[in-house]
Amino acid sequence: MSFPILSLLILTPIIGALTLSLSSSTQLKNKTIFQSGLWITTGEFLLSLLLPIFYDKSKNGYQFIEFHTWFDKFDINYYVGVDGVSIPLILLTTFLVPICLLCSINSIQNRAKEFVIYFLLLESFIIGVFVSIDIVIFYVFFEAVLIPMFLIIGIWGGENRLYATFKFFLYTLAGSVLMLLAIIYIISKVKSGNIELISDFTFDQQIELVLFLCFFASFAVKVPMFPFHTWLPDAHVQAPTSGSVILAGVLLKLGAYGFIRLSLPFFEYASIYFQPMIFALSCVAIVYTSIVALRQLDMKKMIAYSSVAHMGFVTIGIFTLTQDGINGAYFQMISHGIVSAALFLIVGVVYERHHTRMISDYSGVTNVMPKYSFFFMVFMLSSVGLPGTSGFVGEFLVIMSTISVSVYLTFFTAIGVILGASYMLLLYKNINFGDLKSDIKQLADLTNIEIFYFSCLAFLTMLLGIYPKLLFEMINKSISLSII
Amino acid sequence: MINLFQFIPEIFILSLILITLCFGLFYKDRAISLNTLGFILLSILLLNYGKDFYSSTQISLNTINLFVLSKIILSIGSIVFILLLKRPLKNENLYRYEYVLFLLFAILGSFVLISSNNFLTAFIGLELQSLSLYLMAAFNTKNLSSNEAGIKYFSLGALSSGFLLFGISMIYYDTESFNIQNLDNFTAISEIGLSLVLISLFFKVSAAPFHIWTPDVYEGSPTISTLFFATLPKFASLIFLFRVYQELNISDIKSLNYIFQMVCAISLLVGVYGAITQKVIKRLLAFSSINHIGFMLLGIMSYQFMSEGTLFFYLIIYLITTFGIFAVLLNLRTVDGEFTKISQLKGLRFTSNSKSISMLVFFFSLAGIPPFAGFFAKFFILSASINDGFILLSIIAVLSSVIAAFYYLTIIKNMFFNKSEIELLDDNNKTGKVIFISSGIIITLFFIYPDPLINLVDNLFK
Repeated sequence: MSFPILSLLILTPIIGALTLSLSSSTQLKNKTIFQSGLWITTGEFLLSLLLPIFYDKSKNGYQFIEFHTWFDKFDINYYVGVDGVSIPLILLTTFLVPICLLCSINSIQNRAKEFVIYFLLLESFIIGVFVSIDIVIFYVFFEAVLIPMFLIIGIWGGENRLYATFKFFLYTLAGSVLMLLAIIYIISKVKSGNIELISDFTFDQQIELVLFLCFFASFAVKVPMFPFHTWLPDAHVQAPTSGSVILAGVLLKLGAYGFIRLSLPFFEYASIYFQPMIFALSCVAIVYTSIVALRQLDMKKMIAYSSVAHMGFVTIGIFTLTQDGINGAYFQMISHGIVSAALFLIVGVVYERHHTRMISDYSGVTNVMPKYSFFFMVFMLSSVGLPGTSGFVGEFLVIMSTISVSVYLTFFTAIGVILGASYMLLLYKNINFGDLKSDIKQLADLTNIEIFYFSCLAFLTMLLGIYPKLLFEMINKSISLSII
Repeated sequence: MINLFQFIPEIFILSLILITLCFGLFYKDRAISLNTLGFILLSILLLNYGKDFYSSTQISLNTINLFVLSKIILSIGSIVFILLLKRPLKNENLYRYEYVLFLLFAILGSFVLISSNNFLTAFIGLELQSLSLYLMAAFNTKNLSSNEAGIKYFSLGALSSGFLLFGISMIYYDTESFNIQNLDNFTAISEIGLSLVLISLFFKVSAAPFHIWTPDVYEGSPTISTLFFATLPKFASLIFLFRVYQELNISDIKSLNYIFQMVCAISLLVGVYGAITQKVIKRLLAFSSINHIGFMLLGIMSYQFMSEGTLFFYLIIYLITTFGIFAVLLNLRTVDGEFTKISQLKGLRFTSNSKSISMLVFFFSLAGIPPFAGFFAKFFILSASINDGFILLSIIAVLSSVIAAFYYLTIIKNMFFNKSEIELLDDNNKTGKVIFISSGIIITLFFIYPDPLINLVDNLFK
């Protein structure tokens, strides 16, 4: 197909942001700005729907390829394309960004124009990461994502936002620069940044181990894996609701995507060599962060820790290096992207009405907000992995694939499921049931807009839970290629 | 018979100086437009006929290209600087046409320094440049700290010139020649002499541990002079350092190579650790420039991999960014005078869109974060150094740039996240505004479409 759909996907939000920034801010009302932002991102979503429609599932390799030379001398090219692994994540991104804008129409009052602009830029950078098949532009987009996110947390965050946003930026940057060195080394050896060419290249074994660790440093911070996860609770708690949604929904997936797209095909020997280490770290992440989540007093923090635990499933699944394991991990990524985004929105709804995130401040919400409790239940159950919801499929596949590796691993992963159920149910019980507190009484139930986006998310969760083949059809072939 | 043809750029500047001297007596305010015109002419001359000037000499083609490119950069930089200088000087009640003359002398010195093949000529060029710089540092005679800066700069500079002369004489004792090329038979004495020469040059480019003067001089001098110290003379000295490194094959001399690597590593680290705690923005920029010098030294050491292109790419991006940052700073004033502290930047986002966004671009570019040109500048330097086997130095370099990101972010934090405490006055200087906005655009455009710059550098080195 000669139509440059991927470049268009990257450029549409940027162009939208530029037009918005050139319009004079004094004349525009906040609502108009958000509306135009919504138009742009919805258009982007519709545009991205063309990808799965025109994608040919029977073919190997990348499609919709575009190639332009960027630096002749260094063989760095603007080289983009998608395969089954990237399309669902692109759709997830374009789906979540309009929701982020929708949920912040009321909560973001000051500097709305900047807010929309940063979100548009963020969207195009994230899509850039998913479509790039040249290692340098992958890095460029991967790193560029930091700038708008830094500003979003820093400007519209909570009271301790500066600490959180600095920690977020510096942690991720410190991981990434090591990857940069590894990338430079790889390019100097392979003489090309093309991902496919690098996958075919075999490195010296000792060097491969070092290179793997450099990539690991970057992705492990992003995922985040234990012990590099400490930036995540801070960032989540301080970020505005929309920031948390995009952070949990998509940004965490960048790390896991990096593992699947780069680490596994590049470093086959090292992936097997470091398998035990990653399993150990992920097990600790699952069990430890689940226990930590049990003791949290802050709703957002609890969900942030649960994210770390859920991403532990993802890393375990990826590094079983089996088709089932990676399929399950990938499914878990998408499912977690939807569910945790929804849970942060759920927290955002009551925070916007009651201005506190402490669990102890809520009790008996279900009496005044029945619709809210219903949606909360759907996402809570999906998060604990109830069959019929998307959370189940991923966890089930991952646990199943661990049996072939080690029974102990299965044991710890399964413990994680139980712990996950306990803290999520506890959270649900404490907020929704019990005596109705007097100051809760005046809380209003969900508005139509909120019902709209929650139903979209709930529908997706159910759909993927009941008919997971939809996703597997898309990814199977591409993933089977990346294992070998 | 000396061929005067190759001295045309220098003669041009010299005559510009003479004309300005006579002309300035009668039309003081016209000195600026006259010199702008002069430098535009010089740039055109160099762009079109630059290589022909040296065609009758025996200098290798690569070196000729180096001369021409660096002289073009110097003269374009001078145009920008001259356009920028009038308003800030008038604000401080300092405007005298002699300031332009100092600039001209410094540029003449830089030209001589860059193209000298002889240690003595280089010494003369360096001294001519430095003496003008001392005067520019102390130009605000009524201000104590400006005087202090001038004296500090002068006394330390004189010391380093002493080192340079001593080193040169040791080399002469050993080889009986002042020529930069002719040093095949090295003995211990000329090695020591050369290390003294290097120390003096490290002082001029303010590489650590010879950097002590930098923060004080940067802080004390009038901001416009600081801009000059940070850009053009440093650029010229760095090019000369590069030439010394290249012509004398310092990479083959173990001890000197060791010194070079140590200085590079120390500069990278001292630069970032010094900058973290700074409260005054000019001091912070001084330390950050030390860190960048570390990167440039890394580029000098690994020039063999991708020729001089990487170094020049870095230098050009760095010059543009520095000009942009200072153009913003020069455009800001507080109620009680010059703007100095980082905390005074608070809330700039609310008062001026163009300034805060340009600063955002500049500082993210300096930190080497895509999508700005600073990323590729660092990327190329690191590619070259990894290919040449400086793995440890590269790791130090990237880690230092993470720490550097911290204090750049602090500045951005002050502009974007904090409410303003002090009222900042906008100087409303149109030229300044044009300069920082266009540098911001260039920094972003060079990232997306770097071909013009790469081709310019490439063509000159082919």
